[in-house]
Amino acid sequence: MAFRTRRPGPATPARTGSRRRRLPLRLLVPVLLLVALMAMLMLRGYVHSEILADHRIRPEAATDKVPEKILDGGPVIDTRGGRTESLRIPDHRLVLTFDDGPDPTWTPKVLDTLKKHHAHAVFFVTGTMTSRYPDLVRRMVAEGHEVGLHTFNHPDLSYHGKRRIDWELSTNQLAITGAAGIRTSLFRPPYSSFADAMDDKSWPVTRYIGSLGYITVVDTVDSEDWRKPGVARIIRNATPEGGKGAVVLMHDSGGDRHQTVQALDRYIPLMRAKGYTFANLTEALDAPSAHTPVTGPELWKGRAWILLVQASEKITDGLAVGLAVVGSLVIARFLLMLLLSGVHARRTRRRDFTWGPGAPVTEPVSVLVPAYNEAKCIENTVRSLAASDHPIEVLVVDDGSTDGTAKIVEALGLPGVRVIRQLNAGKPAALNRGIANARHDLIVMMDGDTVFEPSTVRELVQPFADPRVGAVAGNAKVGNRDSLIGAWQHIEYVMGFNLDRRMYDVLRCMPTIPGAVGAFRRTALERVGGMSEDTLAEDTDITMAIHRDGWRVVYAEKARAWTEAPETVRQLWSQRYRWSYGTMQAIWKHRRALVERGPSGRFGRVGLPLVSLFMVVAPLLAPLIDIFLLYGVVFGPTGKTIGAWLGVLALQAVCAAYAFRLDREPMTHLISLPLQQILYRQLMYVVLLQSWITALTGGRLRWQKLRRTGVVEAPGGPAPRRRTADSTGNVDSVNSTGSTGSTGSTGSTGSTGNVGSTERRPVA
Amino acid sequence: MTQTPSQTPGPEAAAPEAAAPEPVTAEPVTAEPVTAEPAAAAPEAQAAPTTPQAAPGRDRYLDLLRAIALVRVVVYHLFGWAWLTVLFPSMGVMFALAGSLMARSLKRPALSVIRGRLRRLLPPLWVFGAVVLPLMFASGWNPLEDPDQGGAWGVVDLFDYLVPIGAPPYPEHLGSASGLLDPTWAEQACGPLWYLRAYLWFVIASPLLLRAFRRAPWPTLLAPLALAAVVGTGVVTIPGETGNAVTDFAVYGGCWILGFAHHEGLLRQVPRYLAVSCSALVMAFGLWWATGHPGPEGMDLNDIPLAQATWSFGAVVILLTYSPSWRELPGRLRRWDPLVTLANNRAVTIYLWHNMLIMAAFPLLDLAYDLPFLQSDSATAALDATYTLWTFVLVWPLVALAVPAVGWVEDLAARRSPRLWPDGRRRRGRGRASAAARA
Repeated sequence: MAFRTRRPGPATPARTGSRRRRLPLRLLVPVLLLVALMAMLMLRGYVHSEILADHRIRPEAATDKVPEKILDGGPVIDTRGGRTESLRIPDHRLVLTFDDGPDPTWTPKVLDTLKKHHAHAVFFVTGTMTSRYPDLVRRMVAEGHEVGLHTFNHPDLSYHGKRRIDWELSTNQLAITGAAGIRTSLFRPPYSSFADAMDDKSWPVTRYIGSLGYITVVDTVDSEDWRKPGVARIIRNATPEGGKGAVVLMHDSGGDRHQTVQALDRYIPLMRAKGYTFANLTEALDAPSAHTPVTGPELWKGRAWILLVQASEKITDGLAVGLAVVGSLVIARFLLMLLLSGVHARRTRRRDFTWGPGAPVTEPVSVLVPAYNEAKCIENTVRSLAASDHPIEVLVVDDGSTDGTAKIVEALGLPGVRVIRQLNAGKPAALNRGIANARHDLIVMMDGDTVFEPSTVRELVQPFADPRVGAVAGNAKVGNRDSLIGAWQHIEYVMGFNLDRRMYDVLRCMPTIPGAVGAFRRTALERVGGMSEDTLAEDTDITMAIHRDGWRVVYAEKARAWTEAPETVRQLWSQRYRWSYGTMQAIWKHRRALVERGPSGRFGRVGLPLVSLFMVVAPLLAPLIDIFLLYGVVFGPTGKTIGAWLGVLALQAVCAAYAFRLDREPMTHLISLPLQQILYRQLMYVVLLQSWITALTGGRLRWQKLRRTGVVEAPGGPAPRRRTADSTGNVDSVNSTGSTGSTGSTGSTGSTGNVGSTERRPVA
Repeated sequence: MTQTPSQTPGPEAAAPEAAAPEPVTAEPVTAEPVTAEPAAAAPEAQAAPTTPQAAPGRDRYLDLLRAIALVRVVVYHLFGWAWLTVLFPSMGVMFALAGSLMARSLKRPALSVIRGRLRRLLPPLWVFGAVVLPLMFASGWNPLEDPDQGGAWGVVDLFDYLVPIGAPPYPEHLGSASGLLDPTWAEQACGPLWYLRAYLWFVIASPLLLRAFRRAPWPTLLAPLALAAVVGTGVVTIPGETGNAVTDFAVYGGCWILGFAHHEGLLRQVPRYLAVSCSALVMAFGLWWATGHPGPEGMDLNDIPLAQATWSFGAVVILLTYSPSWRELPGRLRRWDPLVTLANNRAVTIYLWHNMLIMAAFPLLDLAYDLPFLQSDSATAALDATYTLWTFVLVWPLVALAVPAVGWVEDLAARRSPRLWPDGRRRRGRGRASAAARA
């Protein structure tokens, strides 16, 4: 039995070392962004009482430990400094108290009513509501009312220990300070009522809160307005007997309070007529104000808190809008794809369908196979071409391979197969050399690791029967689809080729001819100047150029090419990074199409926005889906969240199933769709985020020069990587882009090199 | 130490099997064929006169899984965090590994395999019982009068300490709250013994199960899940210890037979995407079921049979599907090699004794309150707040003491010469340092 030992050679530590340096650059920004978003969301959920909310209410307990004089005493309980006293409101004085606010709808109306009648009151505000609506608290204080603490998020304090009570009060105080610049010494416990309702569970809490320096204010008259009993009933409830003074309990928050506002409007004049005055608590007791102004660091702390909460509110509201936009975009796109791919399939599958006057196309075709270190695959590739049922010549352009790729091809000795060697110059150069050497006017381009079916070339060139067609995209299929990552890419490819490409075909704005299987008219190539090295995605670049030149670009579904998808996450990462960054480069390069006339303008105003929207902008917002999903599952309505997610998944499954049916693929691979949604999609948008970061940081000025640095940098590649003429001019850009880390990282994958292996693009 | 020739060389010798252990047999001290494994710990010794192709060697990936499972069990019993049961389904993994080894051994006559397994399983249990039972009796446990045990049957049940056809009995409360040990110490110490009962029945049933599996792989593989669905949904409830035995058999039977499937290569026939995707669905069902049927500790899968069965099954499928068959631990994992080896060689010992050691750690830790520099209120409060953490720190030295103290029984049970600290590094120190010195 073979003894497979994996020794830690010198290469391994070096590589892990360098990876350790690179990984943060690539991941840090996305991770930080995600963490910041999550923190924002948590803060918001917190002040909206979605997190840590405690709705328990303790049932009544015994009262034998509560002093008699408290039970029989007044509503203002003073236990500060070891005291046990309670105060009553003098006769003919009323203290209106409003709990649970401020509320954005009702509190302003309550304040307006009070102002109208020149009455003062006390508002016991919660920390959460104060943080969300600080302006209202500021207005209360400015208009002569008193504010008191009502805890941060309204738990029954008798369930909690000292630490939580401290925190509830101090955070409540912090919010009030941030909102109005004051501290208050008044406190009302949540779920409290009259002084004689004190029991053995709540009395110790009251004593403890007194020891913190607060005066506890309960009530003597309960309007029971929260029951919405009607205006008359509220007034009757709130009227004390026989001209006695009272603390009146009302609510300005927690639901529809229009009865409270209406009752208040009648209640105040009514009671004034009975000889009552309305004052805030300390006025009624002829005591010094409960408010103390705050200055210095405490004030700034409070303001910072308010600012933070306000920011998180606004940002998360914005995010929610973004999520809605993404959601509708995604759904709209799916529906559009279903519709248009159906149209396309029906059109091209009609029995009497022909591509054009020249059908069938039988003229010979030149097949270009750019190859860089494809020793493993090239034989299969070339042999599959030799079996073609269409007259072809094969040109293998060896781009300075170091593994004997060219020799392997020559050793096959197949008729009609030529090998062209060049120094390593990159895939576009290899393709241009191939074009220059091709004898025929129809040119098929493929990758060195792709295998054609015998009919592929014939099917691929049939659309050229229409003289307006300048380029044709074939149907690339994943061969290695048994692994998980392979199955995911298989789904992606089938959907990309059968939905996206059909849609783009109908809309006449297909952005990419896949490098693995595509055909071009020589005149079209020559008119746009051949392949260009301006971008990392020369296939997207050339396709866009051909569009702008006025040619049609179509999809030939029966031209199947079998490719090997990346098997590791690292390879996949580097491939997709090139695609997304290359696509961004290509869009940028062709941005002028947006304002041009003619076919170029048409592509610029239909194709470019579409591609930008779905390939560059929408994926950027896609993480929102996951963040809200995670948040919803953990804190929110878990059932509804998962239900919504399953709904979107079902829509995707329908689309995928339709794509599979169009391609006549067995549906079994669709079982990995749910996992794809929670593992694979995230990888894709992190890659895109990385492309954005590269574009915004390192890439912007050197956009045109960035070129293939990320690709060429194969580990330990001894071959000269670019033409010497180029190198002098590009030293700067190579260094600087390399230093952004992200481009360099693609080189460390040890993947297949710079040509081929990467350019078969499932989605557009 | 004398060298005891092993009676049953070959793969079986490498699979003594109790709490899942397949001890590392590579030490040259034994007369068994030297496998390639120890080279992992001492790369420079690789040139030593071993015969690499003599034995297939150990799958260090499976060893690693077993070590992780053991550590997870100890941590879970210490902290009681329910989510640990979701994070890594230890028991399922251990049963799956044991099942795989059982399928490997069953190339030989079934009776002798079962006899060999029992021979290895029972002596460590006897030693454990010999320590725990007198302790319980001395603390005042009388099985005759224990209301939970049912009179004379309680005495009969003690037989389970000799051969665990049922989970060995123990009193739920023993001693007083003010005693040195927590009153539930007996329950804590003996609670994990159900594993031995389940293991015993799996071993006994294995020849039949394997035959059924070979005849009809998929029905046999899925039958325990179906049984778990019947038992776990409450359609049928079987009272008493029999019910526990049936439930455990149903819950972990799927994992045990997955071990068969791994060994027989069935899992390799399924495309990986299919295996993983289906497992994920099965696991999702398990989680969903758990959220709808929480146990007393919430989402603790140990209390929710159907959730445990499905979650463990799915997780084990994924772990075995990706089984990379390491000859040695790769890269950074390699530094853990001795500990992984030790955990595998002493899996029964660690499993049997760990809860006892956790209980013993508490009174030891309480001594810290008497330390002169920990007398202030703040120091006491800090100690209170970090109490479990210190228990966690303390329990590993205790395990390290228990391994040389009682671990050698495992070697005797396997008819090998006893070793004190079998972490696979002996070769290097052979002749110079004794194992005892290293222990």
